[in-house]
Amino acid sequence: MAMLMSRQQQLAKIVKVLVLLLLVLIFFLPIVSMFVTSLKSRGELYVFPPVVFPKEPNWDNYLTAWTMIHYERYFLNSVIISLFYTVPCVMGSCFAGYGFSRFQVKERKTIFMLMLSTMMVPYMVTLVPLYLIVSRIGLADKRFFWIIWGVQGAPFLIFLFRQYFSTIPFSFEESARIEGANRFQIFFRIMFPLVQTAVIIAAIFAFQWSWSDYLMPVLFLRAEKVTLAVKLVNGYVDMKQNILHNIGMAGIVYYTLPIVIVFFVLQKRFIAGLLSGGLKG
Amino acid sequence: MAGSEIKRMDTISRQRRISFYIFISPWIFGFLLFQIMPIAWGFSISLTNRMAFTVMQKFIGLDNYRNLLADPEIRYSLLTTFIYTVSSTTLAVVTGLIIALLLEKEVPGRGVFRTVLYFPYMIPLIAVGWIFKIFLDRDTGFFNIFLSKLGFISSNIAWLSDFPRGSVVSLSIWMSGWSMIIFLGGLSTIPNELYEVAKIDGAGYLRRLRAITLPLLSPFAFFQFVTSSIYSMQKFIEPYILNPRQQRGGQVTAMIPPRETFFTMARGYDIVFLKNRFAQGLALLWILFAIILIITVIFIRLGGFVVYTEVGEKR
Repeated sequence: MAMLMSRQQQLAKIVKVLVLLLLVLIFFLPIVSMFVTSLKSRGELYVFPPVVFPKEPNWDNYLTAWTMIHYERYFLNSVIISLFYTVPCVMGSCFAGYGFSRFQVKERKTIFMLMLSTMMVPYMVTLVPLYLIVSRIGLADKRFFWIIWGVQGAPFLIFLFRQYFSTIPFSFEESARIEGANRFQIFFRIMFPLVQTAVIIAAIFAFQWSWSDYLMPVLFLRAEKVTLAVKLVNGYVDMKQNILHNIGMAGIVYYTLPIVIVFFVLQKRFIAGLLSGGLKG
Repeated sequence: MAGSEIKRMDTISRQRRISFYIFISPWIFGFLLFQIMPIAWGFSISLTNRMAFTVMQKFIGLDNYRNLLADPEIRYSLLTTFIYTVSSTTLAVVTGLIIALLLEKEVPGRGVFRTVLYFPYMIPLIAVGWIFKIFLDRDTGFFNIFLSKLGFISSNIAWLSDFPRGSVVSLSIWMSGWSMIIFLGGLSTIPNELYEVAKIDGAGYLRRLRAITLPLLSPFAFFQFVTSSIYSMQKFIEPYILNPRQQRGGQVTAMIPPRETFFTMARGYDIVFLKNRFAQGLALLWILFAIILIITVIFIRLGGFVVYTEVGEKR
């Protein structure tokens, strides 16, 4: 009986792995198609009957993708915008998360619910009027707008930090307070280092959001300062304005690479951290 | 003696309140400046006839709202947004659930599968859109090649122009890694003893799934449905990128996507920035806001019936 059970379990395990492998294969088809397209020659894009695989890989596309649109300029723009947003956003969320987890006041729960309910506001309901206001008062095309914008944090990240802070016992702060540390010293010296995992998770999210955001840069920034998200969708065209999908895909590879690297370097802590602390409750 | 004690407690609670507001002040600042102010101002504009270059701005009450709701195209966009939201949310949640269940117990390479299947969620939307535009292409797209190699289809299908809504939904399925992570988090909260006891009682896998796993995962599924439908109702840029009509450069938003994927938010953007009718566009965005609010409230009300709670537990 025991033998039978274990054989059955083993069979189930093998089936599971096979299904998972099939899923991975399906999930990776779009990625494969991206690489294959990025190696096609110009002619292979438009010929009939269509070519699925290029005869020989055109690695030149990767060079063209870079030189054609001054990639470095827009890459740098994206990096600046993302950092301008990520740093204050993580700090602001961490602050608010600490406030919501630590200080028992009557109205705390109401304010917390109010904070979470701002997630329901469609982002254009705030961004479109904001754009109209900002362009009126001459603040358009200023990158520091992202810093001010980031300070408020993000509801999901505030929630995440609150969850993390809630797992730390109050005794940590009590002893520091007895030794005469003020609230900021307690926060920066004791609490902040204890939520490092949450900081990493929040930073990855905030960076990913600002790196992929299309609407804010297209509204608030003009031609030279625009980020990759905006530049890529209309940058790769020939003289007749035909979109060059092969070079575009090479550009997309560059665009995705920083996030992929950050993600794979930190994925262990990122996923484990999300699973253990962030999502419960 | 008692008096000084009370005084001390007062100081402590005042100190606590001060600390609370100091720490949440960055959020309050953003809330007032970037939420309340634009929301209120935007709403007041939506009650006028403002255009990009109006000299004579006047108050017209709810006329914009009335006109929008009377317009069959706008009504259709609300309907198609709703259909999209229901289908993409359901499919993404179910896909995430299935993957999470496959990864539940000791599976070889669990960590690798988890990372790899989560990965598409990290790819920027613009990239995902463009990757899928090529992936779903009728002639050279890998999806058609894959399907025809397996014998599912005999002739190539033009997914982007014949099934625009399905194409946009496919992005959400591809990015269901987020849903998977939430369910994995949920699964880790279920005590193993429950399964042990059920096994001793002779419950098979399906029985355990129905009696233990799914009820205990229901709060997580509920959370997903709420957040992801709020998010799906605001779909904006993907249909533009997957737009089969867009063959030339220039702003992607200059060429409107097929009717089925011209969602409400994109229509609002189009009215504000391409037709320059600020007030009307803002009114449409407000209609969307109202619908999201209503749906969320319904969800939360319904949630009480759908979600499993411990007997006697107060909601």
